[in-house]
Amino acid sequence: MNSTQIKSEVATPSLAVRIGKMRLANPLMTASGTCGYANEYGDFADLTQFGAFVTKAISKTPRKGNESYRIVETRAGMLNAIGLANIGLEAFLRDKLPLLEKMHVPVIVNVPGWSIEDYVDVAAELDQQAIVQGIELNVSCPNVKNGMSFGTDPVRLHELVAAVKKRVQRCELIVKLSPNVSDVAVTARAAVEAGATCLSLVNTFTAMAVDIEKQRPVLANGTGGLSGPAIKPIAVFMTHRVYTEVAKKHGIPIIGMGGIQTWQDAVEFLLAGATGLAVGTALFIDPNIPNQIAAGLRAYLGRKNLVDINQLIGALQPAQPAA
Amino acid sequence: MAGLINERVKPVGDSPRGTYDARVVQNVRICTDHYRLTLGLGRFPASTPGQFVQIECRGAEGGGSGGGGGNSEFRIQNSELATEYRAIEWGPGLSRPALHDPDFLKATAYLRRPFSIAARRENGGAVEIDIIHRVVGRGTHWMETLERGQEVSVIGPLGKGFRIPEQLELALLVGGGVGIPPMIYLAEAVHRAGKRAVAFVGAQRKDLVPLTISPCSPAASGEGEPVLNATEFADYGFPTVVSTDDGSMGTKGFVTGALRKFIEKLKSNSEFRIQNSELAGVVVYCCGPTPMMKATAKVCAELGVVCQVSLEQPMACGMGTCQSCVVKWRGLDAERLAEGEWKYKLTCTDGPVFDSRELAW
Ligand SMILES: Cc1cc2nc3c(=O)[nH]c(=O)nc-3n(C[C@H](O)[C@H](O)[C@H](O)COP(=O)(O)OP(=O)(O)OC[C@H]3O[C@@H](n4cnc5c(N)ncnc54)[C@H](O)[C@@H]3O)c2cc1C
Ligand SMILES: Cc1cc2nc3c(=O)[nH]c(=O)nc-3n(C[C@H](O)[C@H](O)[C@H](O)COP(=O)(O)O)c2cc1C
Ligand code: FES
Repeated sequence: MNSTQIKSEVATPSLAVRIGKMRLANPLMTASGTCGYANEYGDFADLTQFGAFVTKAISKTPRKGNESYRIVETRAGMLNAIGLANIGLEAFLRDKLPLLEKMHVPVIVNVPGWSIEDYVDVAAELDQQAIVQGIELNVSCPNVKNGMSFGTDPVRLHELVAAVKKRVQRCELIVKLSPNVSDVAVTARAAVEAGATCLSLVNTFTAMAVDIEKQRPVLANGTGGLSGPAIKPIAVFMTHRVYTEVAKKHGIPIIGMGGIQTWQDAVEFLLAGATGLAVGTALFIDPNIPNQIAAGLRAYLGRKNLVDINQLIGALQPAQPAA
Repeated sequence: MAGLINERVKPVGDSPRGTYDARVVQNVRICTDHYRLTLGLGRFPASTPGQFVQIECRGAEGGGSGGGGGNSEFRIQNSELATEYRAIEWGPGLSRPALHDPDFLKATAYLRRPFSIAARRENGGAVEIDIIHRVVGRGTHWMETLERGQEVSVIGPLGKGFRIPEQLELALLVGGGVGIPPMIYLAEAVHRAGKRAVAFVGAQRKDLVPLTISPCSPAASGEGEPVLNATEFADYGFPTVVSTDDGSMGTKGFVTGALRKFIEKLKSNSEFRIQNSELAGVVVYCCGPTPMMKATAKVCAELGVVCQVSLEQPMACGMGTCQSCVVKWRGLDAERLAEGEWKYKLTCTDGPVFDSRELAW
């Protein structure tokens, strides 16, 4: 942090990126489930400066979610088992979309589901809403019974994405990959071949924390999803793997996430191949972090004599032995 | 105004809450495990008792140790309590790790930690807030090491605080353990509203009562209960009834026992001369461990007294986004849900203060 003094910049480098038809003023967006439905962070961050806003998962009908405890802090991160608690599509369209419109940033809605119909119904309805520019299929939420299946089985994933694709004409179709697989490139390929126009990764890693006094899991759900800095190196690796194996050759953009908290983290993901950068758990500590990262990226580009952030995307050089 | 707040997409000058850099004014050890941390802020929005702040419990560098801070500067107010207890004996149902595990101490708190505002003072635009906390883990251990002048990031004020109804005559402030701090701030507000109060505090042992107890006799009595003079409440003319689990201070037993006796006397021949013998002017305000709050709510329900409880739930954000801090809610009066039904409310934004009758806990 301290060694990187900003030199005088010639021109302000551009942070603008494109994710399909979506134009983002900068790559930074919120990660689903860590930023509410709309403007909950309005008193803590300038949401109009974000590159895009990704909502909490919105299901066809409201969901209460899991029993408490739903979260627990672990080393350099946390586990959550919220259970996709949300107000449901109807209340979202009525109460939250008008607020999202006021932000004047591209809106992506996260869609969970327990059957193909669940996804198709919600996605088709969202595709009709002019404000919504992207639909992110949450095929990887490890918290809800069988929520695992679409995201970990390439055949079922292909079937799901193809079915949704038929009903989504206008919006970008983003598939959010589960990291709970042995090779994320396999599910990434299935999603792209079925018509995904963008991939986002990673969702949380299935994990467990034990209360050693009670000798039970801490979370009421038993297991939870691990997020935060603890997962960042794995997320960078997975982003790079999907970029080199699938996304690059198909020209599909990646939204990278998992433990992003500083501009240095953001640069790692960009070099590994991410076009968009989602900040999740770190928002709980400071909702304005995306704007700080954007400022840091601008300074980094200036220092590297780059004029456009797109010059960084996938620009990772081959590994080399230490000199 | 409420509408405007709901529609805000960026912070503005009059935002009712925000992120602030505070400076440590003072960090005083007040009993075996508790510290009073006074934070100075150039600016801080209006707050009410029961509201809380989220503190980032690590240094600017992200280190966990607070930069070599020792306890050297800390004044131990009561020398009798200066004995070093490092192991905490948790009561039944509580299970927290031992503090002497070195690995445990070194670990850095990642998420912010929520703390009730224990007092607030204004001086010429600048604001001082007090946090009274018990050292129980990573975050509070870091707070213990804070020294004057160090910077601390604070988000707040958060949540909805206690409500002081117009018809309030007598407030009964029931605080248990780390639930005592918000009662101090509330006492000030009750005093300012020109109302009366009696404090009921409960702790495990004498040395875990985070109050300044002096022997002089208080301004008013506790209806036959032995009253102690806790400066924090006596400053406003309010007496304090202390209950400890082992009887090492005040009465032996739970705070709910003393509370029940007190309310029962209020109904008959009270020195407090409540105008309405139906106790419509009495409100119990309660914060502490969940079993204690449930027990207090039960006493209040039986005796027909309104009870506001301030809940503590594990929180990741404190700002209403993560959905982690849920409590089962069934509403009250016009909002009452059908029998047997409930929904989840968020402790951080719908609470932490609820009318106990609203909860399905
Ligand atoms: C709205 C609100 C207001 C609060 N006000 C105060 C206050 O004024 N003073 C004060 O001392 N504390 C207060 N607390 C509790 C305080 O937030 C916790 O003590 C603190 O988060 C512990 O952090 P730590 O890193 O030191 O401990 P950790 O290392 O996080 O935890 C240590 C142990 O304590 C347990 N624990 C942590 N938090 C809680 C909790 N809320 N309830 C039960 N067990 C818990 C953990 O499970 C763990 O076993 C408040 C909590 C809430 C939600
Ligand atoms: C409390 C919480 C709730 C989440 N809810 C969702 C969700 O509803 N849908 C989803 O696709 N991902 C959800 N996630 C996963 C995040 O969007 C993100 O993929 C993950 O946390 C990794 O990023 P991070 O380390 O920056 O948090 C949630 C994460 C957390 C911590
Ligand atoms: S703590 Fe995140 S919603 Fe309450």
